[in-house]
Amino acid sequence: MKSLAPVAIAIAVLALLQAATASSEYFVYLSLLVGVNVVLAVSLNVINGMTGQFSIGHAGFMAVGAFSSALVSMQLDQYQLGFLPDVVSRQLFFFISLAIGGSLAGLCGFVVGLPSLRLRGDYLAIVTLGFGEIILVVVRNTPALGGALGLSGTPQHTTFFSVWFAVFVVILFARRLLASPHGRNLVAIREDEVAAEAMGVDTTSYKVRAFVVSSFFAGVAGGLFAHFQSIITPGDSFSFVKSMEIVVMIVAGGLGSTTGAVVAAVVLTLLPEAMRAVFITVGGSNAALAQSIDQLRKPIFGLLLVVMMLTRPQGLFGTHEAWDWFKRKKGAPT
Amino acid sequence: MSDALLHAKKVSIRFGGLKALSEFELEIRKGDLKGLIGPNGAGKTTAFNVLTGVYLPTDGEVFVCGEKVNGRRPHQINRLGLARTFQNIRLFKELTALDNVRIAVLADRKPLFNRARVEALRRGAYPGRAVGSALDAIDNYRDWWRALLRTPGFLQEETGIEKRARELLEVMGLSHRVDELARNLPYGEQRRLEIARALGTRPKVLLLDEPAAGMNTREKADLMVLIRELRTRFELGILVIEHDMKLVMGICEHLTVLDHGETIACGEPAAVRANPKVVEAYLGEAPAHA
Repeated sequence: MKSLAPVAIAIAVLALLQAATASSEYFVYLSLLVGVNVVLAVSLNVINGMTGQFSIGHAGFMAVGAFSSALVSMQLDQYQLGFLPDVVSRQLFFFISLAIGGSLAGLCGFVVGLPSLRLRGDYLAIVTLGFGEIILVVVRNTPALGGALGLSGTPQHTTFFSVWFAVFVVILFARRLLASPHGRNLVAIREDEVAAEAMGVDTTSYKVRAFVVSSFFAGVAGGLFAHFQSIITPGDSFSFVKSMEIVVMIVAGGLGSTTGAVVAAVVLTLLPEAMRAVFITVGGSNAALAQSIDQLRKPIFGLLLVVMMLTRPQGLFGTHEAWDWFKRKKGAPT
Repeated sequence: MSDALLHAKKVSIRFGGLKALSEFELEIRKGDLKGLIGPNGAGKTTAFNVLTGVYLPTDGEVFVCGEKVNGRRPHQINRLGLARTFQNIRLFKELTALDNVRIAVLADRKPLFNRARVEALRRGAYPGRAVGSALDAIDNYRDWWRALLRTPGFLQEETGIEKRARELLEVMGLSHRVDELARNLPYGEQRRLEIARALGTRPKVLLLDEPAAGMNTREKADLMVLIRELRTRFELGILVIEHDMKLVMGICEHLTVLDHGETIACGEPAAVRANPKVVEAYLGEAPAHA
């Protein structure tokens, strides 16, 4: 199976990287944050970029995945498959809880995708926004999910390998999707819905499918997130602000470009951290100065985005992909 | 049932109080090349939209290949063998010419279940409808996995799709534009690309909405030859909406003239041209007793 070769290579490379970076905790922690954001951005790009629908409730799907998988794995944590080594058994349970979280999020995607049959543009955006808020309210009022305090004590299963393997899978998925009739149909809907329909594309069902696969991956990202945070609360990490953050990433990267989503997610996640490092160096001995400069991070971040949108409104990559450059030489994508 | 590929029976459509189309009759058989003409606002494009399922007719019935299509969605009607182009070109502008056609081209795929039977089930009553939907979903699910795993069968289909798309572009004289973005093509070529795309869905009947609009005389002449060629090469029935009288008279063997939604004349071009009602509709009322 030549088509599975990239998967084998990715597993080997990621395992090596995991071993190599195991000692630097800060790096690993940052890489987990980055990885989760990449999965979120690439998956949202399937709805907003490829299909041209406008969803601003991605954090809601992430929350569904996070809370459901956390709950599942806290239950499963009491058991162990005796015939397997401890680590393997735990990772297996972790995988199961991620799958459940992703599937539940996908189910929610189906439910939210249904109104997209009738709604367009702003109206659909409001439905997705509402969904994101509803999820948070539901979590806050469900004792089993910890209410407003959220869940703490989720087993810390997420590793460098699991996050970046998810990143690899979602990128491979997005890329292969786009190189198939299904992906082309999604793009046709973005370009001209009436024409797509007239050319035999079942636009309604394709829009729902885009929502389902996209929210599945958002749910997986949420599950990964829940398993390296010691506590998850129905607050900032899943709020509207988080949804907008992901939207900003894909817009900055170029709507419709998976490469763009990846690059923008990496840069925009690391930028505040990098600025913090720079400012602390500049502030140096004067702690008060360092702190007041640190306050500038958010405005600078915003300013950068404004400048970027003014100078390059189509985003970093437009709708281009990094692998298009190689394709000319090598022929068909792998 | 007659052997007409497309058959409109007394089709009427009203928008509020406005009767956009009344008792419209049309029959297209294999090899037909018919024209639909009329002054601006006569209801020509409305007729197209009713035939292709964009609008639901208020009265009357539309049959495509013997199947009644009232209330079916445009993509379902397209799959029965009816393809169209648009008056105000509706290409996928940001995609290449090749991708435009590829989207329309259906994979030469053997479905898991008999398509016709699944479709019949889905249109029937419950519980058969649920079974049909489930079978359809399974087939679709499998197809997504094939695409994601890039199985040999899938790759073969992809090559087939690309080959056919390139063939169609060649037929329409667009071989040199394969990798060009659709929006960068000149107007005339955009119109031809739309026809190529429509042909990708393997239609039995092709509806062309003002295919020559915006073309120069030379391009129009070429287009006339091309449309005739398409008819024989793809064994199509063709219906053309056109303003350009010369083109319509030149290629159509049968004309239907609409005015204010009413069919005011139909028959051979020469007879239609001589019809005083048609002259009146086009040129205004003849001066009485000059």
